[in-house]
Amino acid sequence: MIRTSRPLLALAAAPLLLLVACSGGSTAADDSASGGAASGAVKVTLTDDGCTAEPNSVPAGAASFEVVNSGASAVTEAELVNSGGRILGERENLTPGLRGKFSLKLEAGEYTIQCPNAATETSTFTVTGSAPSSTEDPLFAAATSGYQTYVKQQVADLVTATGAFAAAVEAGDVAKAKELYGPARAPYERIEPVAESFGDLDPKIDVRIADVADPSTWTGFHRIEQALFEKGTTEGMAPVAQQLVADVGQLNTLVQTTTYQPADLANGASGLLDEVAKSKVTGEEEAYSHLDLLDFAANVEGSRKAFDLLTPALQVTDADLVTTIQGRFDDVQTALQPYRRGDGYALYTELTPDQVKDLATAVDALAEPLSQVSGKVVGAANQ
Amino acid sequence: MSAVRPSRRGVLTSAAVVGAAGIGAGVSAVASRPAAAGSPTASRTVPFHGTRQAGVTTPAQDSLVFAALDVTTKRAGDLADVLQRWSAAAATMTTGVPVGGPGGLGGAGDEPPQDTGEAHELPAANLTVTLGYGPSLFDERFGLADRRPAALEELPALPGEQLDPTKVGGDLCLQACADDPQVAFHAVRNLVRIGRGTVRVRWMQLGFGRTSTTSTTQSTPRNLMGFKDGTANLRAEDTADLEKFVWVGGQGAPAADQDWMRGGTYLVARRIRMLIESWDRASLGEQERVIGRAKESGAPLSGTQEFDALDLDKTVHGKPAIDVAAHVRLAAPDTNGGVKMLRRGYSYTDGLDVATGQLDAGLFFIVFGNDPHQQFVPVQRRLGTHDALTEYLKHTGSGIFACPPGVQRDGAWGEGLFI
Repeated sequence: MIRTSRPLLALAAAPLLLLVACSGGSTAADDSASGGAASGAVKVTLTDDGCTAEPNSVPAGAASFEVVNSGASAVTEAELVNSGGRILGERENLTPGLRGKFSLKLEAGEYTIQCPNAATETSTFTVTGSAPSSTEDPLFAAATSGYQTYVKQQVADLVTATGAFAAAVEAGDVAKAKELYGPARAPYERIEPVAESFGDLDPKIDVRIADVADPSTWTGFHRIEQALFEKGTTEGMAPVAQQLVADVGQLNTLVQTTTYQPADLANGASGLLDEVAKSKVTGEEEAYSHLDLLDFAANVEGSRKAFDLLTPALQVTDADLVTTIQGRFDDVQTALQPYRRGDGYALYTELTPDQVKDLATAVDALAEPLSQVSGKVVGAANQ
Repeated sequence: MSAVRPSRRGVLTSAAVVGAAGIGAGVSAVASRPAAAGSPTASRTVPFHGTRQAGVTTPAQDSLVFAALDVTTKRAGDLADVLQRWSAAAATMTTGVPVGGPGGLGGAGDEPPQDTGEAHELPAANLTVTLGYGPSLFDERFGLADRRPAALEELPALPGEQLDPTKVGGDLCLQACADDPQVAFHAVRNLVRIGRGTVRVRWMQLGFGRTSTTSTTQSTPRNLMGFKDGTANLRAEDTADLEKFVWVGGQGAPAADQDWMRGGTYLVARRIRMLIESWDRASLGEQERVIGRAKESGAPLSGTQEFDALDLDKTVHGKPAIDVAAHVRLAAPDTNGGVKMLRRGYSYTDGLDVATGQLDAGLFFIVFGNDPHQQFVPVQRRLGTHDALTEYLKHTGSGIFACPPGVQRDGAWGEGLFI
């Protein structure tokens, strides 16, 4: 729904139509008969019962789909989804009386037409001809395997950096431990949603005192952070550091065999920004060290990685959205730039309220369109 | 990654999406809330489209959500796009339909619904959404410097104000009024969401209990001082006066210097804190002397009925019946060169003034006129200097905005400036 502007006068229609004209909608009344369409001209009719494609089979090659809402009140969109679960084309915001088109090249195989909110949300659609050998969608495969590689690499870095940090804590070297704390945090923050998916591992590694029922059971980074930055000591922290190393090692073991769905990437990208908005931009995460901006930057980097991997797939369904999100990622990273200090960032406590507000605004501006990615690329079967 | 993935069922049937168990209960509780006393049936709608923006002479609804916003983009196209989408969404919401149409509440389980949902099953409640442009919009950013009407100039410093810098100004304003506060908030929330990345809220004010009467069909409400407020206000039915004092380029009004503003009006917003504790300690005689009206009946102290005309010359025991420093005397058109204004204020409270422990409450004063620097400014200057009421007031927030004319069915906000 994020679009570049276009002249209004081209849209001589009721305002409601403004919402759809930009996504290729037109009124059923100004019916531009689809004469001379490609050999595969398909009409998809939306009803509250379901969506039907006529014909429901076309030969491989160019196909154009016209989606018509002739009176469905609950159903306003239709998507063509391949067997790998990727949305290849869609038309949305088709309120009763509106229609919209999309065209694409199709390989032989089984597809589904999906229309969310209908009584029956999917119907099968067949493209005849000689099918490619694999049913796995190549764009998705590249994205998910790329993400798996990225996560493994970040956790490997985490293991190394946490090991060095823990060694300084165990040696009682407060200054060195303080110095090594930030570098150990960054790789964790980049892949935080993955760690969160393993039940109690994330709390053990990353819980804050406010979220611990019994403070005597408090473990992880922030327990040591408090000792170092608030009390200026490593006293009693050796066992906590050893436990942290063990927990990070456990995470490393788990990510070796974890696989991801495309929706995981999209939701993870959004989840990281929610983390930023909730606890980093407020200065709550690093309450003693005030390294919140380092976590902030790492969250954004992890989010961007996941998004970048999905970009080739999203480019197909909504190139405008790609442009918008890329621009807003750039805006966030630009907004962080003035606070760079060597390998790290300025302390949160150095920020003025206006600077915090600017950062928060940039994050919100990015998070809004990013929240639409999952629905734009991933069909229901892959949710 | 979340282990629980929402199904693609509609939002309202999906606990995974709704999450909070209270939503359903909340909706039914709200839906059965009776319309506020004195409001016309809350299910009525006010047309969004027309030659004038709604929300100016529309009979004042019961609640207000006012937002002043700043534009964060440097690209005029982005702003034009948001204004276009705002007008489409406002047109939809004012008919009681969710953003994105009847299905806007649902959609696919894997994407956020287009509409935030809290006004679902509530009536339209006479919702109006009114847009204004602040003077700061007409700087170099969008090349609008030569499109700024002369009347749209920042307000000068005025006596009796102690402005809070976080409640002043704005590139844009949105005034949402409805007979249900949830409907008004829903409107602003969804517009803010649509604008995210292009505009951001600079300050915001919720208002309740209209303090003005803008139609002869309405009874006069009371403000937080306990006095009837707006007895002598302009009314929607006073068409000749509206032409002269409210609409830009109207019959008998100063000529419009910018074509795009013809048929629009200027909005001045003032957040006026009442020093409630002091006021409540004032005797009835003092309160009535300060206002110039009887507290119970609303009658001017020179008369016996609420709608008796002010008799500023009348004396009682050799003294003016209406005190020389009384609010109604100093605000009366007769003592201000005949100037009339259309007031549309609301009461507000923001809880507590933490510094003093006193209540932070008062009047969110909104006034419409076609020449604020010749209307509001001189009147306020006079009040701030001489009005006995000033002792009990503090102006803490302020803004001036140009509200363009109405949007036609095939049009959008932003016309004449961006399109």
